[in-house]
This record gives sequence, C-alpha cells and structure tokens, in this order.
Amino acid sequence: MFRRHLLKLAGAAALATGTALPIAAQDMPAPFDAPEDVKIALVRYLSTGDFFQSYLSGVEQQSEALGVDLRVFDSRQDAALQADMVDQAIALGVDGIIIQHGLTESMKPAAQRAVDAGIKVVAFDVNVENEAIPQVEQSDYMLAKLALDQAIEDHGTEFTAGYVYVPGIAPLDRRDTAWQEVKEANPGITEVAQFGTLDNPIANSVANQARSVLQANPTINVMFAPYDEFAKGVKIAVDEAGLTQDIDIYSADVSTADIAAMRESDSAWVATVATNPSVVGEVSVRTLAMMLAGEETESNVIVPPTLITQDFLNENDVQNMDQLGEKLPQFQHADVAMTDWMPLPAR
Amino acid sequence: MGNERLLNFAIKYGFLILLAGLILYFSLAAPGFASPRSAVFVLQSVAITGILALGVTCTLVVDGFDLSIGAVATSALMLSAYAMVVLELSAGMAIVLCLLMGAAVGLVNGLLIVKFRVPDLLATLGMMFLLIGLQRIPTQGNSIATGMSLPDGSTAEGTFSSTFLWLGRHRLDFFLENLVPLPVVVFLLIAVGIWLFLGFTRQGRLMYAIGSNERAAGLVGTPVSRYKIMAYMISGVMASVGGVLLAARLGRGDIASGTNLLLDSVAAALIGFAVLGAARPNAFGTATGALFVGILLQGLTMMNAPYYTQDFVKGAVLVIALVFTFYLSSRRGVGGH
Repeated sequence: MFRRHLLKLAGAAALATGTALPIAAQDMPAPFDAPEDVKIALVRYLSTGDFFQSYLSGVEQQSEALGVDLRVFDSRQDAALQADMVDQAIALGVDGIIIQHGLTESMKPAAQRAVDAGIKVVAFDVNVENEAIPQVEQSDYMLAKLALDQAIEDHGTEFTAGYVYVPGIAPLDRRDTAWQEVKEANPGITEVAQFGTLDNPIANSVANQARSVLQANPTINVMFAPYDEFAKGVKIAVDEAGLTQDIDIYSADVSTADIAAMRESDSAWVATVATNPSVVGEVSVRTLAMMLAGEETESNVIVPPTLITQDFLNENDVQNMDQLGEKLPQFQHADVAMTDWMPLPAR
Repeated sequence: MGNERLLNFAIKYGFLILLAGLILYFSLAAPGFASPRSAVFVLQSVAITGILALGVTCTLVVDGFDLSIGAVATSALMLSAYAMVVLELSAGMAIVLCLLMGAAVGLVNGLLIVKFRVPDLLATLGMMFLLIGLQRIPTQGNSIATGMSLPDGSTAEGTFSSTFLWLGRHRLDFFLENLVPLPVVVFLLIAVGIWLFLGFTRQGRLMYAIGSNERAAGLVGTPVSRYKIMAYMISGVMASVGGVLLAARLGRGDIASGTNLLLDSVAAALIGFAVLGAARPNAFGTATGALFVGILLQGLTMMNAPYYTQDFVKGAVLVIALVFTFYLSSRRGVGGH
C-alpha cells in the first residue's frame, strides 16, 4: 500500500514538473524497463456511448502510466472486421492485445491466432474460450444483486415491482439471474409488469412504455431497471405521472447525467450500482501488463461494483463522475490486477 | 355492384374502423386504457415521431424521400444540449440554432438532389451518416449533461434552462388539471398546419403536381427545383422541432443514431397512405398513422406483451396498410400516383 502511494506521489510529481515520462521505468520488470518499445492494441467491438468512451479513457490512462504504445482498433459492431483487426494487430507486431467485447464465434479463432503468434491476450466481456486468455469482467450479477439488496433494505421483503428487461443481451441476462433469484427467495415480492426496449433513444422509448405500465398497474412501488438508460426512461415516466413520492427506482450503471437525474429534487431514482468503466479499462491494461512481465494472473479478473445511493450523492454534493471518484475511493480504483511495481494513472 | 361498393367502403373507411376496433378492444382488455390520461400519453408517445412523419410527408408529396430526419432530430437534440450546457446560451438561442440547423440540412439535401442530381435516397442517406458522425465530434462521443468534464479539463457549468424543459414537460389544463403536454399541442398544431398547407394552398397543390408528374408541372411553369428544395427544408425543420422536444423531455443530450425515429416516422407516413383511401401522402393520414401505431404499442405494453411483439405488430400494420393502398386501390382503378 505504502509503496503504491509513493508511486502515486512520484507520478503526480512527474506530471507537475511537466515530464510526461513513465513513472520510474527502471523499477519495472522487463519488458517495461523500456516501455516505449512495448506495443499493445485494443480491439473494440462496441464503442458508442458513455460507458465505452469511459472504458477507453481508462485504457489510455493506464497505458500512459506504463508508458507503452497503445493502438486502438475500432470495429463498430462488425464482427468480421473485428477478427480482421486482430490479424492486423498481429501483423503490426504488437506485444499484447486487449479484446473488448465481440462474439465468441468470431473472436475465438482470431484470439487463438494471436496466442499462437506469441502475443499475450486479455479479453473484456467476451468469452473466447481459451485457457491462455484471462477474462476481465464487471460482475453484472453483483451489480443487480447489490441494487436489489438495497431495495429490500428500503422496502422489506414485500413489495410490488415493475421490471425493465430485454432478453438476449448478455449483461442484462446476467443481471436478470440475480432478479430471478431474489424473487424466488422472497415470495413477498411480486412482479406485476415486465417491459423494456432498446429502441433508440432508449430513455424516450422506455418512458413511453413505463407510462402505460404505471397506468395499468397503480400498485407498483418499486421499479427495478438494471441499466441506466432504462432507469432514466422510467424516471421520466414517474415524473410525468406525478408519482415521485410513491415509487423508488433501483438501477445499475452510472454517468454524470445519471448523477444529475438522481439528485433532482424529489427524484424517484434512489440507488444505482456501478463499476467505473474507466477502472475496468485500467484493470484490462494492468492484467495484460502482468502477463507481459511474466506474472501469474487469475483466469477471471472481476472488478467489484459499488453501491451509490441518492443520499450519499446529496450528502457529499457529488456533481459528476470525477467527484464521485474522489468521494468514493473504491469507485476510483479497484485493487485488482495489482503488483508492487505497477504504476497507476495520476489522479 | 354491391361488391364494388363494399370494396370502396373498405378502402375508404377500413383503416379507421380497424382503429376504432382496436381502441374498443384495448379498453375492454387492458385496465386503465380507456381514460383521458391514457389517451393523452398515447398522443405524447407519438408526438415526436408524428412531427418527423409530417416532415417526411412533405418530401413524399414531391416524390422524394428524406432518410436524414432521424439524424437531424438527434443532431438537434445534441445541438440544443451543447448550446445550453457547454456554450451557456439561452433557451431561445438554442431553439433558433436548432431550427436553423434543420433548415440548413434541408437546404443542402435539396441542393444535392436538385442541383447535383444525386438521387434522393442516396443524398439523404449520406446526410444521415454525416450527421450521426458530426453530432459526436464536439463532445468526442460523450453524452452532454451538466457537470460533464470538457476536453480542456474544465467542467460544463451550463444547465438546461427551465424555459426549455417547460417545452417538453409542461402540461396544460384541459378538462383535467395538468393534462395535455406541450409536445402534443405542438404536434397537433403542426399537423393542422401541414394539412392546410398541402391540401388548401396553391403551393401545396403545386407540390402534389410535382409529385405526380414533375415534367408536366415544370412545363406549365412551376419552379420545380425551388419547391423540391422547400420540401426538404420543411422536412429538416420539422425534424429539428422533434429533436428540440425530445431534448426538452430527456433533459440531456443523449448520443443516439435516431434510426428508430426514422423508421417509426416513415412507417407512420406510409400507413397514412391508406387512411380514407387516399393512396398518396397526406397530413391527416400521417397523423392518423402515427396515432394508430401509438395506440397499438401502448395497449400491448399495458397488456404486458414482450417487446419483440411490438416490432412484429408495427410491421404487420405497415404491410396491411400497404396492401390497402396498392392492391385494393389498384382494383378500384385509381391506384398509384
């Protein structure tokens, strides 16, 4: 711990003196004793939206802290192109590749080709079914579970719920598992309505649906919307129906805009659970760095989520994601994939 | 002859009867459907796509097509948010900027089509991609909200002004207190406006003339190019109005491609062909078409139907409407245009 603080200080000092040099490169094991010669690639499947933007910034910051050369390949939801991009990265002679999302079917052979070429590979939120490739993931199950625990703490084990869900989307399916378990364990919880859509703008479409659901089911007092776009839509509908006092919304994920929505006066959105996407990005790079340095990594690197309540945001006057990180240190940094030589991004 | 009259009746009123039947069915089957509040939020849910659909109707009238409306709407959404949150302009300025942007996009679309002879679908398709990319450039792909960090490291201090949010959220008293949201009023005003314009003004009728036979209209001295450009400008402005209302409802600048807005509004306009057996684009039909889809979706949601049934139902309605328009009308001998 102490050493890491020192490193952080050193990082801050390096930044303060204007030298963008990696922190004490000579302290790092090979190949990071000459980090500028280390080339890594991020091959993305999904990139549009706040979450992916923030993930990218985490990857960039951790790479900068290490001093390595980062190349970003963006396939924009084209599975075939993403596989080609892995091959491009191999041809480019990179030392490590981070695969961010994608389809198992298309990425499995591509990832295997990279491993065969002697390249270290880390996968984020995509299962490439390869023992040599550790999987970084945010625990979607835990996200939903923590939010539901909070709902039970606030409302007891008997409440009437509306549930927003679109099946077939992997993270939402994993979140759904938690909901099904909680319902099973608490027969007092009744789900009277399930709805949801990914028509974009999602918040607007979900708001339209939620309006009719609230009209048809006036007994609902808890809305479980385990995705922030869903929660935003439900909140619009609750506001429009004038039910802010009667309904509590529990969700997952967080962004600056979400913080503002949760903090509006009389907001029905009382709690969300989130993993900082930027931390997930940092963890992905650190995992890769550990592999490059020849250290052991876990096969599943899980970044733990954090509960964020409306009360906490109000008490600490949190306005945006940066302030959230300052006030909630476990949101700013996850003690995952850490070694004593690992430099952290300056904060 | 009885058959013929039945057919004519079916073409003319079939769709409206179907609509009435649906309302009756949902009133009986879904608790809470038959109430003034529920009627109002059906209207609210279709207000924005309806406004876009009315815009695209104008381009359909001149035998064109505007694929960029969804992207124009989301660009207006981002632009209004950017103007208020980052540039800290007033609500009025933000709205003016959005309308100008819509008109400018329409003008460019029109010029591409008329002057540069780019086919309408291709020109507006290009514009769609251009705008989807452009709206992300100023914020580097992030959504816009108060308190967001800007690229230069500072924090955005501006807020959505309450006047602006009022546009999307205020409710007028109408029989019941706080009943009718402003977007619905805007939608109805625009619907009446476009209906009067297309059906009862010289300009509107000339636009129909251009749509049915461009060369003939040109030969009798209609400034075809000018009218076509005007149609795209109307479409662009309508789309930006829709985007402004969307921003006012959401209260943030959301990154979105607007593809669903495009598809829903085009569907509404095409369903509109079938209303009253018009077999051509018309404002009344478009508004009814939007309402039809809205009622179906709200009713299904209230009955807990899963989301994928909604796309299915939307598609089915569209197909039935197109059959009404093209098959039945051609049998009647006045089909097509």
